[in-house]
Amino acid sequence: MQTVEHPQVTLNGVSYNATPGLRPVRVDGCDTIAKLFAARCGELSDRVAHREKDMGIWKAYSWADYWRHAKWLGLGLRALGLQRGEVVSILSEDRKEWLYADMGIQGVGGIASGVYTTDSADQLAYILNDSGSRFLIVEDDEQLDKYLEIQDQVPDLLKVVILEREGLHDLDHDRCLFLDDLYEIGRQYDGDDPECFTDEILKSQAEDTALLIYTSGTTGKPKGAMLSNENVLGTLESGAHGLGPYPTDEQLCFLPLCHILERNVSVYLPLAARSTVNFAESPETVFDNLREVSPSTFFAVPRVWEKVYSQVLVMAQEATSVGRWAFARAIQAGETRAEYLLQDQPVPMGVQARYMLWDFLVLRNLRRMLGMDRLRRGGTGAAPISPALLKWYWAIGVRLLEGYGMTENAGLTAINTLEANKGGTVGQAVPGVKIRIAEDGEIQTQGTNNFKGYWRNNEKTVETFTKDGWLRTGDVGRLDGDGYLTITGRIKDIIITAGGKNITPAEIESRLKFSHYIADAVVIGDQRKYLSCLIMIDQENVEKFAQDRKIPFSDFASLCAAQDVVALIGDEVETVNREFARVEQIKQFRLINVLLTAEDDELTATMKLKRNLVEQKHKALIDQMY
Amino acid sequence: MGEPLLDIRNLESFYGPIMAIRGVSLKVEKGQIVTVLGANGAGKSTLLRTISGIMDPEKGQVLFNGREIQGQEPHRIVQQGIVHVPEGREVFPLLTVDENLTLGAYTRSDRVGVQRDREMVFEYFPILAERRGQEAGTLSGGQQQMLAIGRGLMLRPELMLLDEPSLGLSPLLVQEIFAILRRLNTQEHVTMMLVEQNARIALDLADVGYVMEIGRIVMDGSADRLMQSEDIKSFYLGHQDVGERGERRWKRKKTWR
Repeated sequence: MQTVEHPQVTLNGVSYNATPGLRPVRVDGCDTIAKLFAARCGELSDRVAHREKDMGIWKAYSWADYWRHAKWLGLGLRALGLQRGEVVSILSEDRKEWLYADMGIQGVGGIASGVYTTDSADQLAYILNDSGSRFLIVEDDEQLDKYLEIQDQVPDLLKVVILEREGLHDLDHDRCLFLDDLYEIGRQYDGDDPECFTDEILKSQAEDTALLIYTSGTTGKPKGAMLSNENVLGTLESGAHGLGPYPTDEQLCFLPLCHILERNVSVYLPLAARSTVNFAESPETVFDNLREVSPSTFFAVPRVWEKVYSQVLVMAQEATSVGRWAFARAIQAGETRAEYLLQDQPVPMGVQARYMLWDFLVLRNLRRMLGMDRLRRGGTGAAPISPALLKWYWAIGVRLLEGYGMTENAGLTAINTLEANKGGTVGQAVPGVKIRIAEDGEIQTQGTNNFKGYWRNNEKTVETFTKDGWLRTGDVGRLDGDGYLTITGRIKDIIITAGGKNITPAEIESRLKFSHYIADAVVIGDQRKYLSCLIMIDQENVEKFAQDRKIPFSDFASLCAAQDVVALIGDEVETVNREFARVEQIKQFRLINVLLTAEDDELTATMKLKRNLVEQKHKALIDQMY
Repeated sequence: MGEPLLDIRNLESFYGPIMAIRGVSLKVEKGQIVTVLGANGAGKSTLLRTISGIMDPEKGQVLFNGREIQGQEPHRIVQQGIVHVPEGREVFPLLTVDENLTLGAYTRSDRVGVQRDREMVFEYFPILAERRGQEAGTLSGGQQQMLAIGRGLMLRPELMLLDEPSLGLSPLLVQEIFAILRRLNTQEHVTMMLVEQNARIALDLADVGYVMEIGRIVMDGSADRLMQSEDIKSFYLGHQDVGERGERRWKRKKTWR
């Protein structure tokens, strides 16, 4: 392979190609994730890489620990028969061992593939077979039981590695072993052949598939997107040019690592940036952990930002009258300033001075209470965020930036930055990535981060690229004169009503979701006379509404059935309707009266409704409306 | 059905700063037995204490026969026909069985009626008749529980609130007491609201059930329906899907549907 050397630039102590988007992509001279991992562990050795809570106490783990365990894990798998280019699946909540596994697998040339802990046994069987996984790493007895249920259906699987021994001391199964056993096998292998792991890492190539990410796929079975080393490094390069992470950054890892967003933010970005990752104990303790860690950067989905906001409102309502007054004034001062910032305009002196005063009196305390006092910037993505919510965060001094990306381009297409920010858009294309809008409105991208294709699914791969090699995102949107991108919907979801009118449901749905009382919505109307909508209410906020207005309810179904709740949602729908033309207005709606959890098929792991499954499962409700 | 006998709307109760009941709404129809299930600390007892006036609610209403009674003094509520049989069979230990029953009828002035009701109590609980002269503190746990229920009956209540009558009793005694409760309901038409941790026996007895968790109702329905619910089965009735390994430590997530 020819080696072209591009001029380099150093950003926050890491060297990249000065012009982003060129091949070969290099991060500190490394062209693969595994090589970068080896370089960082060698260089940083005793510095803290991760923190994890153990029996209530935060404990630190160094880069040397990271290296050692990844090495033993990788060599252990190799000793047990893992070949280069074979897949290993990981079924676990976020924890440091997830990262050890990711790097260990990649180190010996394997491909790491994450499985959501909320997936059922059948879904696990599908993914194991589709990916041809040779090994499965499970967190604990609960996840192990999923495998045991389908063990006869996955013939290609060699071994299952279990991270936690608790509750499994009596386990005697010839295909199962515990992580410490695997470490021991790896340690012996390392003793016999000390250069092996490093040699294997050196064999990695930029174009090798490094990871498989199964996309939830709102239609059909999940597909495994193959991301190469180059794809991920391409995203790191774009991120470095656009976001500027520092080695001193503290981060909090809490979204599923199977998802490209958290994987980038908590695994690969820290490799480049040398930052420290703290693992949240569990999805339920995220807000406490946030306070404890007080991260420098924090990426979350809109639902999380919404939750924090709701909590603050409740706190404010329960404050003294002076406190409430001060809070209202502070928010007002903040919002006035935020309006200038979100339009990328200079803030007038008077507005700034007033903000500074209220910041000193109220807002900085609020940020400290939330664990956002050290936050340099917050990020949001994976779903549209309400402009009002975005503005509120800027008002309290949290610089929340919306971005856009997808699994198929390693997670990063466009993002607002502290320097170039326009509220309501997802920002400009990141350095190194090009965006164009096709004739039918589809957003298409090009860059070194465009994925290689779907695992063993050429047909879908071909469909995903245009003839001239651009990635079809499947999203519809527009670019403004300054290059800021606005997403309006999914191309596949376009509804053609019986009257022949084309409607992008996502546009209406995201407007609905901006209501505090609506968690998610699915607009229906393909081949129908008019539009209707199924709505999933936000349990917490609607319960509070009912409580405050003395509306009696017992369980979730009775809450959804309460007249006043239906009227409340009706008002919200009406408000949204006013923003749309007649044919785009929702004539009927129903509330989904079961409280859905991530285990339900209708929800993605990020708690979004899946259109086709919702339409199937709640057909009775839909039929009522026509 | 007409107006419910007891109609609780969005009740909230606090212990100091701690919100023990977070907006509970439920209904008890005349003649029904309604059970409220829940683990320790779910707020079941607090709910009964708020109904009977021992605690005042912060928000919400308690309607008894259509009239608001929340926040009234306990004795006013007793006079209106609600009797609370407290947890842990709080009988007066140094008084005799007879004296305990007399105290139960403290607010009544019709001697004849009181005498008749005393006979009724003895008819339902013959063991109490045998021990009528004995100090209540010397009775067994089961007998004390019977006495506590009997003392409540002395008021001829329209609604009886029972706080864990099965607590600390042998399974056989529990069977016996619940059989008597059923007879009281069918023969004497006593409406009951029963708080229980023993879900099996409570659902067996009750017409309607509510499930409480951390101060909220998470599920409600007819006792039959609750009995069939997967969540009730695995969390309250102790059914376990043992899985492939034959032993399972983790629990499925609750969905309450």
